[in-house]
Amino acid sequence: MFNHLHRITSMGILMGACAIFSLPGLAAEDSSLLRQQLIELQQQMQQSQQAYQSRLQALEQRLKQLELEKITLANPAIVRDQTSPSDLPSSQGSPLRIGLSGLFAAGGSTADNDELEDLQGGGHDPNRNGFTVQNVELSLGATVDPYFDAQANIIFLVDREGETEVELEEAFMTTRHLPWGLQVKGGQYFTEFGRQNPQHPHTWAFADQPVVLSRFFGGDGLRSQGARVSWLAPTPWYSELYLGAQNANGETVTSFLAEGAGGDPTDPENIGGHVLIDRDGRDQSDLLYSARWLNGFDLSDTLSMNVGFSGLIGPNTSGRSTETTIVGTDVYLKWQPAYVQRGFPFVSWHTEVLQRHYEAGDSADPTQETLKDWGLFSQVLWGLRPGWVAGLRAEFAEADGGVSTDDDPFRDRRKRLSPNLTWYPSEYSKLRLQYNRDWAEHLDGGNADSLFLQMEFSLGSHAAHTF
Amino acid sequence: MKQCIKHALLLFLLVGAVNSEAALRVVTTTEDLAAIARAIGGAGVDVVSLTPGTRDPHFAEAKPSMIRKVSRADLLILIGADMEIGWLPPLLQSARNGRVQSGKAGYLDLSLVVPLLGKMAGPVSRAMGDVHAKGNPHYWLDPRNGARMARAIAIRFGELDPPGQADYQTRLAAFEQTLKQKLKEWQTTLSLIRGQAVIAYHTSFIYLADAFGFSIVDEVEPMPGIAPSAAHLSQLVQQIKSEQIDLLIMEPYYERRSARYLHDQTGIRIAVLPQSVGALPKIETYVDLFDRIVAILSQTGGG
Repeated sequence: MFNHLHRITSMGILMGACAIFSLPGLAAEDSSLLRQQLIELQQQMQQSQQAYQSRLQALEQRLKQLELEKITLANPAIVRDQTSPSDLPSSQGSPLRIGLSGLFAAGGSTADNDELEDLQGGGHDPNRNGFTVQNVELSLGATVDPYFDAQANIIFLVDREGETEVELEEAFMTTRHLPWGLQVKGGQYFTEFGRQNPQHPHTWAFADQPVVLSRFFGGDGLRSQGARVSWLAPTPWYSELYLGAQNANGETVTSFLAEGAGGDPTDPENIGGHVLIDRDGRDQSDLLYSARWLNGFDLSDTLSMNVGFSGLIGPNTSGRSTETTIVGTDVYLKWQPAYVQRGFPFVSWHTEVLQRHYEAGDSADPTQETLKDWGLFSQVLWGLRPGWVAGLRAEFAEADGGVSTDDDPFRDRRKRLSPNLTWYPSEYSKLRLQYNRDWAEHLDGGNADSLFLQMEFSLGSHAAHTF
Repeated sequence: MKQCIKHALLLFLLVGAVNSEAALRVVTTTEDLAAIARAIGGAGVDVVSLTPGTRDPHFAEAKPSMIRKVSRADLLILIGADMEIGWLPPLLQSARNGRVQSGKAGYLDLSLVVPLLGKMAGPVSRAMGDVHAKGNPHYWLDPRNGARMARAIAIRFGELDPPGQADYQTRLAAFEQTLKQKLKEWQTTLSLIRGQAVIAYHTSFIYLADAFGFSIVDEVEPMPGIAPSAAHLSQLVQQIKSEQIDLLIMEPYYERRSARYLHDQTGIRIAVLPQSVGALPKIETYVDLFDRIVAILSQTGGG
């Protein structure tokens, strides 16, 4: 490189000298000779400049290549220590997850508003001709410390009188890593019974909750204050056992220590027309005990299956020592082909069967009996193309015993068929059209037709990628 | 009933006792990570991927069978940069495995060891579609990043299993050597595509473009994760014609109608590229993945 520089400098001096010597009055032959030499010099200079440049480029290229190889293959330039605390939140999102989801519906039915309220027994179901604010849910969740995660879901509702209600739907903490596959959860939470009950309204595949769940668990689903232990069994397939105890009183534990309204059979908390007494939980035997055994299998690369068995036992308010037991089975199958775009296409099938035995009245009570109710729902979802899901749900529920089941909207024989179509413009919004065909003994005409248009938005981190 | 429960419990414990013994039990979120981990770990390390290579790891679903795998793992390797944000956090919670929680030695987020492209400057809004504020998470599609990932994996394997450290370093050296040679080969084969303007379906190939020197000028999706509209497609037709773009690249799991429409309108060539190990048959290693990508690109592109 120094050679080149030296040559260029010396050429410059030479050129300067040429300029000085090319004075007027010199002999013509001298002048032409000088001119020729000058041209030669210029050509030489150009050539050496070109050579110099191309060599420089080659060197630069080589240097780049070397740097690249050094960085990428021998010595990663930016391997940071992943265990340093500053990196902790980076892969799990913000430390506090805040989300707000709003679920609204517009509906029209052949049934009037009073009838519709009985047909759509869920507290978050669209249940009137016109508009319903089904559920506005604020959810907060985070890892508390190395030992616990916690979550709270607060619900805002607008009731039929236009009043805003606030409910603490859930607030619970969960252990992060106890030994032997154990996990403890405590607080106010949805009882892990079946697949549907613990799901929040915005993750439901249909606009309303299944009839049998409204009957056994009331409008808000089965939830209460308590604690549960779950054990992840060391089996080759997924197998988890849940055992829990919760308070049995309150309006969210219908079928147990719920307070009814006298003998009014149309009150959903009043079962089989039996008069409910004022019975509060006195000792641990008056708690609601729950058990669930959930299993998961991959039947193939494209087909997976979950099978669960659940049971509940607890006191009820029809007598001093009366008890209710509820058992249920749930099956969930999902098929997805090898290639899916954004989770589509898929076909899923979800079925639950539930049965309730309700001891009505103490042994001294002349009307003492055991009320037997059962019901099932079975739903198929078909994710036909990205963002589009078609669904069909069939339901059946009936009961025996009691004064008369025919006029009781919560114990009569009911059938319902609900096709729907949902469009998800993104994971954070949806529009759903659902038609319900109801056959119910308590209805005057025996049946009803309803149409609901549902829409939902989701802000924040709560419901990201729910499908 | 009591007898029945007793028998069931006994069965559980018995079955649990017959687990295979490996030096390390590694769970990865994708097949690409699993392939690199296998290359470094050898036969003594048990590696299993949570998602198959045919599926978009962004939209995986936390299945119970995954809980089982994570609960037994010594090490969890993930893509990071919010790639698995939709399903990994609930999975980690359900798995109740203290070894693989964020911040522990058994948690390896590889987005921290590579230079991420496409970081968002300024505020990010969902009105912009599925954008990742932390940067584009498809970084395994640059073989130079593969070397970085392998090195981080080898270091972590050595920390968790000190007796195997020398073996891991030996395998790492071999992996790096192969990758170094292959990279030259691939770059030579793809020299024709260098500098070419290309359209991608999704913003998932920017690292591949960076490695092989072509440029992605637009996407079939109007915004990341948003389905292409008719208006956007007709705009693309204009762009393809006016800028004489000759190649469209896409993953096998995306719908083909939009690409076919663009092909019919403009004659643009379509290359369906495997985005991951296992995305197409016979892609079993990280090197296989690029061999196939390069083979497809050299057949389709480079006009």
